[in-house]
Amino acid sequence: MKLIGKLKLDRRTMLRGAGSIAIALPWLEIMGHDKLAHAAGTPAKRFLSVYQPGGTVLDSFWPSSNTDPSSSPILTPLAPMKDRLLVLKGLNMDCAVGEQHQSGIIGFLTGSNQTGSPGDYSSYPSIDQVIATRIQSDMTTRKPHGSLQFAVRWATGKSHGLLSPINSANFEDSKQLTPLPPRLDPQQIFDDLFGTLAPDMDGQAQARVDRRKSVLDYVDKRYVALSQRLGASDKAKLDNHLTKLRDIEMALSQGVVGTSICKAPTRVDTKGYNPTTGLNSSDNGSVVDENSDEMIPTVGKFMMDMMVMAMACDLTSVGHFQWTDTEAKHTFPWLNLPNHHHFYQHDGGFQPVQCQQIATWYSQMHLYLLQAMQGVEVAPGVSMLDESVVFFGSELAHPPTHEKKNMPFILAGGGGGLKGGRMLDFGGKAHNNLLVSILNLFGDTRTSYGHAQYNSGALAGITG
Amino acid sequence: MHALTKPLSAVALTGVLALFAGCTAEIDKMGPDSMISGGGSSNGVGGAGVTAGTTSMVGTPSCMAATAVKAPMRRLTRFEYNNTVRDLLGDTTSPANAFPSEESGNGFGNDAEAQDVVPALIEQYVGAAEKVAAAATATDRIGSLAPCATQVTDSASETACAKTIAESFTPKAWRRALAAGESDGLVALFTSIRAKADFATSVAAMLEAILQSPEFLYRPEFGVAVSGRTDIKQPSGEEMATRLSYLFWSSTPDDALRAAAAAGELATADGIRKQAQRLLADPRSHEVVRFFFDNLLPISGLSQLERDKTEYPTFNAKIGSLMRQETQTFLEQEIFNGPGTWPGIFTANYTYVNQELAGYYGLTGVTGDTFQKVMLDPSTHRGGLLTQAGIVSGPIHTNHENPVVRGSFVVQKLMCQIIPKPTGAVLAKVTPPDPNSAATARQRFSTHSSDPVCHACHQNMDPYGFALENFNVVGLWRDQENGVTIDASGDSPVLGKFNGPLEMEKVLAASQQVQDCFATQWMNFGYGRTLSPDEACAVESVRTKFKDSGFNVQELLLALTQSDAFLTLPAVPQ
Repeated sequence: MKLIGKLKLDRRTMLRGAGSIAIALPWLEIMGHDKLAHAAGTPAKRFLSVYQPGGTVLDSFWPSSNTDPSSSPILTPLAPMKDRLLVLKGLNMDCAVGEQHQSGIIGFLTGSNQTGSPGDYSSYPSIDQVIATRIQSDMTTRKPHGSLQFAVRWATGKSHGLLSPINSANFEDSKQLTPLPPRLDPQQIFDDLFGTLAPDMDGQAQARVDRRKSVLDYVDKRYVALSQRLGASDKAKLDNHLTKLRDIEMALSQGVVGTSICKAPTRVDTKGYNPTTGLNSSDNGSVVDENSDEMIPTVGKFMMDMMVMAMACDLTSVGHFQWTDTEAKHTFPWLNLPNHHHFYQHDGGFQPVQCQQIATWYSQMHLYLLQAMQGVEVAPGVSMLDESVVFFGSELAHPPTHEKKNMPFILAGGGGGLKGGRMLDFGGKAHNNLLVSILNLFGDTRTSYGHAQYNSGALAGITG
Repeated sequence: MHALTKPLSAVALTGVLALFAGCTAEIDKMGPDSMISGGGSSNGVGGAGVTAGTTSMVGTPSCMAATAVKAPMRRLTRFEYNNTVRDLLGDTTSPANAFPSEESGNGFGNDAEAQDVVPALIEQYVGAAEKVAAAATATDRIGSLAPCATQVTDSASETACAKTIAESFTPKAWRRALAAGESDGLVALFTSIRAKADFATSVAAMLEAILQSPEFLYRPEFGVAVSGRTDIKQPSGEEMATRLSYLFWSSTPDDALRAAAAAGELATADGIRKQAQRLLADPRSHEVVRFFFDNLLPISGLSQLERDKTEYPTFNAKIGSLMRQETQTFLEQEIFNGPGTWPGIFTANYTYVNQELAGYYGLTGVTGDTFQKVMLDPSTHRGGLLTQAGIVSGPIHTNHENPVVRGSFVVQKLMCQIIPKPTGAVLAKVTPPDPNSAATARQRFSTHSSDPVCHACHQNMDPYGFALENFNVVGLWRDQENGVTIDASGDSPVLGKFNGPLEMEKVLAASQQVQDCFATQWMNFGYGRTLSPDEACAVESVRTKFKDSGFNVQELLLALTQSDAFLTLPAVPQ
């Protein structure tokens, strides 16, 4: 069977390749794409969710052609990667019941209502965490980090720099459904993930790691000793702490190993950028941090570089990359937009020109990310993107009304047989079905995710 | 801060409301055998047991039954971590600000049952410990850990000094004495690091280990036996010192408190009260009181309120932060230097402003940046907490007055009355009214009285908001809205009728429910959890002492240390 399958694939590869030469694409790239078809039936290996706040300008978002997902003003910047994009039209985020913005970011990856209590977050884990559980439970695919969450200019406005339903998209795959705060400091991320690989350190990086390991080894024993003396409920708390401590110990022990595709990204100077600027806001009474806002594009690209490299280095298989939060209360100096995104969405009256400008810029940034993933060759002729599923979305569709119908959702990559170069219209289905489809791409065969009433079955046709 | 955007959990508030009923039930079903030792009966040996002395340990005579005792292991909050490293090592960098924020839980972010651990938190513990330890072992600081640290000459003196540091610092950091040989592991860690690093870095590794150990980050309690009782224990002296210092200072015990514990002074309710008085008199308690009110009242986001600059030209972020300072200063002065009763806080005919804020209010005669007391005559329409601009502005997140969110704050935070969040079909009906649909807010929200489904809940909230309608969204007085004279009357099912803010405040000040709620909020915060209905007697003990003091806030804080919930813990670990 294997042999026949291979022969079949080879034959198809040849045919596709031959046919495509007519449009003068490089031979190798075409072959690479066909490895993707080969991957159909093979679960996707990496998942990356990308959150952009504040919806879009729908009239300028939807492609004019079903076969060219970049054929719209907002998506034009993505043209170089259009063959890898699957634009998903006609999906409604029906699960987003609760506060207008908060329920959107909570529902995005969970398919869940915003709960009333306790904590006002989600009633289901986010699918990135479900995928992480699946990958981590198999010792052959397990990575030092189950998942990584990065955010740029996070916890603006009313969340005052703190974790809040305003800014949480990821929820632990555990009974507690604990919201997972993202990493915010680009330099800290660099040191933590790539410190021992980086050429520009003081040569002490490995010594620091060894030292940390020794300290944590001591600490580990203290948790074990104390845990034994506690009652069941307190013991569970401490054991949970110990489990997570051990995950970190393991990540330290495994460390990052340089390979032909795993190299420290270039450390970017982010001077002027304060990753926790939201925390200081009450001290100076000012919301605007011009220095940090100015650095958003630089920090964003640096963090995307590190996310892609963390995957290339096999540090993790699951990532979440988040542009700010649902408040989106930072300015856009590089676009010459002096007010914050929320102002243009509705606080200052809906301003579609500015909103479109912002959404278009997010498309440019998404291109940067996808090209970086495309640029990592994980096997001869196979790019990281070929094996990945990238889910791009927002917490709402139409900013002035907070409407969540026809959500601006885009999948990218070829993992699990996902097929791009298209727009599909699902005519008003609930987006929980999309979450099911994404899980299916990872070999998870469930047919429903989140609240049952928003499920009507996996989306047809996403693998072509 | 969470408290601003999230109502208390339904579970928490249901518990609060059920408390009264619970107490009666407990008394009925418990006989005299279940009384905790009191009334002069002897207990304990060598001063270990709680002796009742002149103060009954178990609350009021009407509620002498011992009810459920709970003491879940608490973890330091960010606020507590920052204060603790400040008091232990003089580190004022507030390293815990980088930690993931707490789940709101009981509304104060310190609810033991809501504390969870995510990987990011553990990583932050690593990073914070490294930074704190590096600063504490810098050349100019290491000598304050132990004088020997600046005098080491060889391997033997270094190891001896490492042991000295481990044995002097660890008991403070872990808030308990070390067992024999317990410092060996730390010294071994020092030695292994020292093979590759210098002395200071190796000492730092010990500090990091101490600061990441569960004995530092958590507050485990094992208790000591109470004579004749198999159902409860009492905290050991060290554990009681820790309970006291985190209650009043959100920080670690100081030397005097540790000494009191060692001398057995914390084995009696009276001894505990004496230390409580000392801690309360220390300025560190003021920060804790401020933290409490920052979470109870809608004031921590005032510097970030967004308001239309054209419509409200005098309001800006600076004014917002001054409003917060007004409320903070008023409460601190009232509680620590004034009459300090909770009812009085609603009816005080004065406030504290500086020149800039006075100008904003239109008050005259105040100069300079310092906040000073100003008397308020009736023409100002002000007097009492709920007429302060920050309190009426804070709940509102738009440019439009909203009696619902103001009323919801009064009802949920000040009256501990649960208003369930709308769900299902009711939720589908919830849309904020069009701001142009009618002249006044009362008219815009008229559906709340005309539609019975809305009315069922809103009759409990809206009246309090209506009484505050003369204050616009930036806290300034107005007689009219869109040319229509504002009707500030309210009629609430619980507290009856009132007209305007000053009348409503009088009604709230006279309400037992408001006083009981304040006591409950302090118990939830002070004990770091959400009280459950079966703790009714502890609750009644605190409420009664609060009432007997004329609702004095300082007396309430002291009363927190005299209830079963504070004086005991379960005999069987939970």
